[in-house]
Amino acid sequence: MLRFRLRALITVVTLVVGLPFVGAAQTTPTPVVDPADPFFDDSVLHDVYLTINPKDWQTLQIHYMENDYYTCNIQVGSIKLQDIAIRSRGTGSRNPTKPGLRVDFDRNVTGQKFLGLKSFILRNNTQDASSMHERISMQLFRRIGLPAPREAHTRLWVNNGYAGMYLIVESVDKTFLQKHFNEDNGDLYKYDYNADDKPYYLEDRGRDPALYVPHPFKPETNESHPRSDIIADWIRVINEGRGPEVFRQLIEPYLGDLSMFVKHIAVEAFLGDQDGFNGNYGTNNFYLYRFDNKSLLQFIAWDKSEAFKDGPEFPIYHNINDIGVQYRNRLTTAVLSIPAMNNLYLDTLLDCAKSITEMLAATPGTPADTRGWMEREIEKEYMQIKDGVYSDPDTPFKPEQFEAEVNSLRNFAKKRADFVRTQVTAARQQ
Amino acid sequence: MLAVVVFSTASLHTTATPAFQEAAAQGTEKKPKATKKPKDDQKAKDPQKPKKKKKAKSDQPSPDEPIDPDAVEPGGGVRFVWKQHPSLRFGSVFRVDFEAKLQEDGRWSYPNATGLKDPITGKEQTFQLHRNRFGVQGHVFKRIEYEVEHEFTEQELTEKDIAAGITPKSQWKDVDVNVTYVKNAQIRIGKFKIPFGLDELTGVTHNDFIYRSLGANYLAPARDIGAMVHGRFFKHGLNYWAGAFRHDGDNARSKKIQGGNETVAARVTGMPFRKLSPAFAGLEVGTALAISSLSDDSFRPNGLRGRTLVTQDTFYTPVYVNGRRHRWEGDVDWMRGPVSVRAEYTWLTDDRLGQGISENDLPDARARAWYVAGTWVVTGEDKTRPVKAADEFLRGGIGAVEVAARYERMWFDSAGGTSTPTRANRAETILTAGEKVVTLGVNWTLNRFVKLQLNGIREQVEDPGRNPVPNGAAFWSRIIRLQFVL
Repeated sequence: MLRFRLRALITVVTLVVGLPFVGAAQTTPTPVVDPADPFFDDSVLHDVYLTINPKDWQTLQIHYMENDYYTCNIQVGSIKLQDIAIRSRGTGSRNPTKPGLRVDFDRNVTGQKFLGLKSFILRNNTQDASSMHERISMQLFRRIGLPAPREAHTRLWVNNGYAGMYLIVESVDKTFLQKHFNEDNGDLYKYDYNADDKPYYLEDRGRDPALYVPHPFKPETNESHPRSDIIADWIRVINEGRGPEVFRQLIEPYLGDLSMFVKHIAVEAFLGDQDGFNGNYGTNNFYLYRFDNKSLLQFIAWDKSEAFKDGPEFPIYHNINDIGVQYRNRLTTAVLSIPAMNNLYLDTLLDCAKSITEMLAATPGTPADTRGWMEREIEKEYMQIKDGVYSDPDTPFKPEQFEAEVNSLRNFAKKRADFVRTQVTAARQQ
Repeated sequence: MLAVVVFSTASLHTTATPAFQEAAAQGTEKKPKATKKPKDDQKAKDPQKPKKKKKAKSDQPSPDEPIDPDAVEPGGGVRFVWKQHPSLRFGSVFRVDFEAKLQEDGRWSYPNATGLKDPITGKEQTFQLHRNRFGVQGHVFKRIEYEVEHEFTEQELTEKDIAAGITPKSQWKDVDVNVTYVKNAQIRIGKFKIPFGLDELTGVTHNDFIYRSLGANYLAPARDIGAMVHGRFFKHGLNYWAGAFRHDGDNARSKKIQGGNETVAARVTGMPFRKLSPAFAGLEVGTALAISSLSDDSFRPNGLRGRTLVTQDTFYTPVYVNGRRHRWEGDVDWMRGPVSVRAEYTWLTDDRLGQGISENDLPDARARAWYVAGTWVVTGEDKTRPVKAADEFLRGGIGAVEVAARYERMWFDSAGGTSTPTRANRAETILTAGEKVVTLGVNWTLNRFVKLQLNGIREQVEDPGRNPVPNGAAFWSRIIRLQFVL
């Protein structure tokens, strides 16, 4: 009896003392540590070492337009992996001298990962003399709360020879989906634009899903059985020509409340991206994720090397209302015809302006830094990569071209916010 | 009367391929004389023969049936004859036979099987004109035989390949001359099958199954340009073929794989047990060896690949090879009454000299394959290739019906290596990748021109990472083939 009472006492004490801690554990979950965080740490310049059969490296450069994989070993810091696979990648950025690379860890060894990653991209930046467009752009997407790949600069060493300044880009794959959306079983599509494709503005091509999948919407997951019918239905709804409110109801199953889409195109417009969703060459450079067991679609930003190039006075409605109707993206036109969405578009542009001009909190005893975030970021990256870019043996740009493009970026960072604010004010007065 | 050499594709194979073997395996000590009516007294002398055994009523040979090359042909001068093939003859001086082999398939497999889609449109292609071969064959001055055959539809290309102007395996099949002045040392020159592999050397219209075995499809060399000496001794008790070729055959080449270079090959078959017992009269054993040189000039991996039988999904991608390729096979072929059994083992290694990431030598890449197959002609006819119906369909009978089964495996790995096995094309230790296949079939020979084949094929890719269907599952395919020969 005494033993029973003792046990009961211990149980009660344990519950009384322990419950508050259980509650605390539930309300403050331990943050999930991403093992890849150090790899995408953009406060440092990284070094990636590849060891590859010299003949393979030569072949990859000669046949840079092919997607053949080559076997190599990789070392990053103290981590070494064998028999990984690389291949040439890119569309307009494909280059025989300084190839862009896709690095795959699980192609030759099932389940092999590097810091939790199945793959990553080594972007060659052959279309951007500053090598910074991409990294700054993706940071702005994230600052606005949109999913975008993490990026950091690295020196690439091939067989112990310096192969140039590259950008480490997080792959948009199942690992990315799991991290951002907590699921990865849906269909991931990459918008697949080929140089000889006729520009596409999401106009209706017909009911046959094969008109959309696998080209231009290329399945990246569930390749053999994507729900391409949903893509065909989505395009049909976009093109039905209903009034704004009816359209809003019809499009909701595909794009929810439209806010993520509107923010996506607003950030692209702020960045002056001439090769994005509302690009000069039709729609381009995005991933589309269809959530598992839903028709809901999510845009994910990709390849912003063409951003900034038209300077700080890139119109906020470029390719939206300054070109013929037939060249306008059908989805953008339909969505921005909803007054609330147009308002959100303008609000997001202002958010971008605020974000890039955000100053550091003043530190007592030090002179105030009046530079905005983008200006600071440009200088940070410039200091990181300058030496590596200057000594890059295969870059297509001369050092003076690099300096000129960095100066152009500095100018963009200084003037863009004010220009956009002015245009937004003007748009709201109309 | 003038003696006329008559030979079909199969009969050409008799000098280089199993048509003679097929005939020999029937226990015939004489040269195969399929056109010759069996004599009743011969039948009576053999107490082992089943009483109900059916014999073909017609003495008309099938177009793809082996013919006695020494058969005496009545008549002379220019004349048109149609016994097996439409044939134009000028005494024994010249002869040309016109032949056709048409095989049309209906195919069903797992959903969205890429290999069953139209290479141009990308749409499901249930029905396919699989093979449509037309050709001529004949002889000049009796002892110089020739053959030309062209394939008009067989293809295995994607839309991109076609757009890039890539052509499939050679569309020219057998294009060769065979000089028969010395029976025991005939000379064959041109393009024809390298003498390697029982299943591969069996004529395309004679196969017991719609698809040849994995080993025949992917490890045996098949056709190439070369020269060969071949002959027979002891009334077909011993046959040999030995030749040198420019490359190592169509099977080793594809749109992405260059294949091997100079190749020498030799094959020997024999019936060593035929004197022991009538049961062994139809038992033939064979073996072959082929050696090819391999260069690493190709910018793509030059090794062999493994693909599934029906859907042609790649479950083993090529590795870089350099040095020599060695092939060896051993086979057994046994026919007795309506029953037949075949088995074959193929072994192949490729040197990988200097193919490591650091240009170091790697252990040999290795491929192996085997199959065991059996057939039974349920309507009672003797098993021959082709099966000859005793009572042709719509001519008082139902034709000949045969059931067949085959179990096989093909797998790839490396002959050594101490590192963790991977699928890398420069892996020191290659991860084993293979496939096991069960084929169940029914062959219905309606008459001497038409055959209908039904196959159910179960395939299990062993590496789940390379399995074309989710979760590493096995998958079934169903094939129906209508074959017409002329």
